[in-house]
Amino acid sequence: MTGNTLFKLGDWGIYALFIVTVLGLPLVMDDVFWLNRISKYLVYGMLGIAIALSWGYAGILNLGQGLFFGLGAYMVAMSLKLQSYTSTQQGSDMPVPDFMLWNAEPGAPTELCCIVQGSWLWLPFQSQWFGMAMAIVLPVLIALVLSSAIFRLRVSGVYVAIITLALVLLVRLLIIDAQPITNGFNGLTDLGWLTVAGIEFDPYMVSTYYVVAVSTCVVLLLTRWLVSTRAGLILQSTRDDPNRSRYLGYDVAAYQVFFFTVSAGIAGFAGMLYVIAAEFASPSFLDITFSISMVVWAAVGGRSSLIGAAIGAILINTIEATASETEMFQEAWKLIIGVIFVLVVLYMPRGLAGLAQDLLGRISSARGSGDKQAARSGAPAE
Amino acid sequence: MTETLFIGLSLSSILLLIALGLSITYGAMGVINMAHGELVMIGAYTGVLSGIYLNLNLLFALPLAFMVSALLGLALERLVIRRLYGRIIDTLLATWGVAIVLQQLIRLEFGLSFFGIHVDGLGPGLQSMDVPSFLTQPFEIAGVPIQTYRSFIILVTLLLTLLTWFLMYRTSMGVQVRAIMRNPQIAAACGIDVRRVSAFTFAYGSGLAGVAGVLLAGFKTVMPEMGASTVVDGFLVVVVGGVGSLLGTVLASAMLGQINGVFAILTNDILARAIVFGVVIAIILWRPRGLFSFRSR
Repeated sequence: MTGNTLFKLGDWGIYALFIVTVLGLPLVMDDVFWLNRISKYLVYGMLGIAIALSWGYAGILNLGQGLFFGLGAYMVAMSLKLQSYTSTQQGSDMPVPDFMLWNAEPGAPTELCCIVQGSWLWLPFQSQWFGMAMAIVLPVLIALVLSSAIFRLRVSGVYVAIITLALVLLVRLLIIDAQPITNGFNGLTDLGWLTVAGIEFDPYMVSTYYVVAVSTCVVLLLTRWLVSTRAGLILQSTRDDPNRSRYLGYDVAAYQVFFFTVSAGIAGFAGMLYVIAAEFASPSFLDITFSISMVVWAAVGGRSSLIGAAIGAILINTIEATASETEMFQEAWKLIIGVIFVLVVLYMPRGLAGLAQDLLGRISSARGSGDKQAARSGAPAE
Repeated sequence: MTETLFIGLSLSSILLLIALGLSITYGAMGVINMAHGELVMIGAYTGVLSGIYLNLNLLFALPLAFMVSALLGLALERLVIRRLYGRIIDTLLATWGVAIVLQQLIRLEFGLSFFGIHVDGLGPGLQSMDVPSFLTQPFEIAGVPIQTYRSFIILVTLLLTLLTWFLMYRTSMGVQVRAIMRNPQIAAACGIDVRRVSAFTFAYGSGLAGVAGVLLAGFKTVMPEMGASTVVDGFLVVVVGGVGSLLGTVLASAMLGQINGVFAILTNDILARAIVFGVVIAIILWRPRGLFSFRSR
């Protein structure tokens, strides 16, 4: 067996192991509370994939991925808010979110169209499918416009990071400022459940876990396929040397725009799933801390490995949740996490995935020399 | 109107103090120091603690905070940043980890809280610093009331900017720093001790953050999270002004501070900040290298 096939086997083995573990988890774990939690971490894993795609494969560091996640979350949350009991029981034909009533001026009609200024924006969200579609369409549209501007103007490197960072902060402030229609700092809480064909997806139900788990696996495999296509290979060449790719006749910006937009779409989808599992949307999704955390998860897991970044995100969040509830670590866990980040960047720049690759490499080289030895010892016997 | 401009000016000067340090570390060394905000926070805590334990007032806390933050910056450079030169994004991530550690150290009172010991002035709660009375009494110039503390901030910023300009453009150390900014390899080939100069530069930039912290503590609550938002603002100023350009940093902070101040009056604080971010995005798209910058590096 050559080292190369071993690598490939190891690679597929890890993917298979991941998918089997994620899908088989409910069989061994019947604690719905933990299942719900893990479904949230799977969503974070999806964010890790999105980051690895744009950062690892395209070389574009997006420090504002929270923008797409947040918008996806808000779009679905608006729909689910209108389905909630408090919204449908306001004595109007159409559902009206409770916070709008608190913000309404005295004498304003209790109608979604005009209870507060701008509330008509909510009208189409009465359809749950509209909200779910917008959760992907809106991030994709914004990413398309933004990345076209960025990459056509050949802005690169740190400056892309700064533009995305400034944009996520900008939108966060707009959401907070539009308090009458977004509920400002408090975000959208008290949501209804996703209902498909009469089945209600209670977040604390195994079926909801499966919705998230299957989505994560599908996104993982699709992205893995995408980077192995011709377009994915060209993308990696634009990362390594944009000028040479340009001289070879490739439209570098087009590839960058496409993958940046795909990454944004994944983040929007993740935002949608998060709301279904966590039942709230808040401006904290657009906090700078959250966006940088995603990058850190990907860095710990391995920035240039899709599955590495996903595992990094899931692992860090699970450890955080466990550590913050263990009495001994209750206060110190954040400190420990900070130290781990520094150590990983200093000593393990390729993250967990790099560690796994080195391990596989060592095994395969040991195997390789073993094969040679076997061949040598076998030779005289012939 | 003059009052609006004056408030804008004092906002600008705090922004400038924070950005000045970042501009030096980013410009000279290509390091995105996300822990810069935490150095500001440490400066603020130095002010609070020196008030409680040493009974020093704000004027004496300023040099003390400069020393504390500069030493911390020196340690940070030695332990972490030195290993990451040339890997700009990694400096961002590693210093982000450092920022979390520094915040937690203050929150956990340097670990003493594990042993049930409480240190006054530390911990997760809110702290405040007293401003000496001669800095709080407003005075009038030609019938216009002027807030003394705000003018004090502007004065300190002015002095430190002049000092920085002097160090950078009138001393041999400054020549070496600027040489490193343009091209570290050639600078090293010319016999400049790049490591030593970089370490000093980083310490100086960190010290400026400490001073900014004390000044902030005079009108804002001091808490472990206070630094986190300042670093983003400071960084935007540096990029808009043009990396490594002192003049650019000064003008960009003046511009962004004034935009913030004016729109805060016209609309509200939140929208004013949103407008600032919008302006920043437009400028970076239009001129990625910032308004004032030299080419090459």
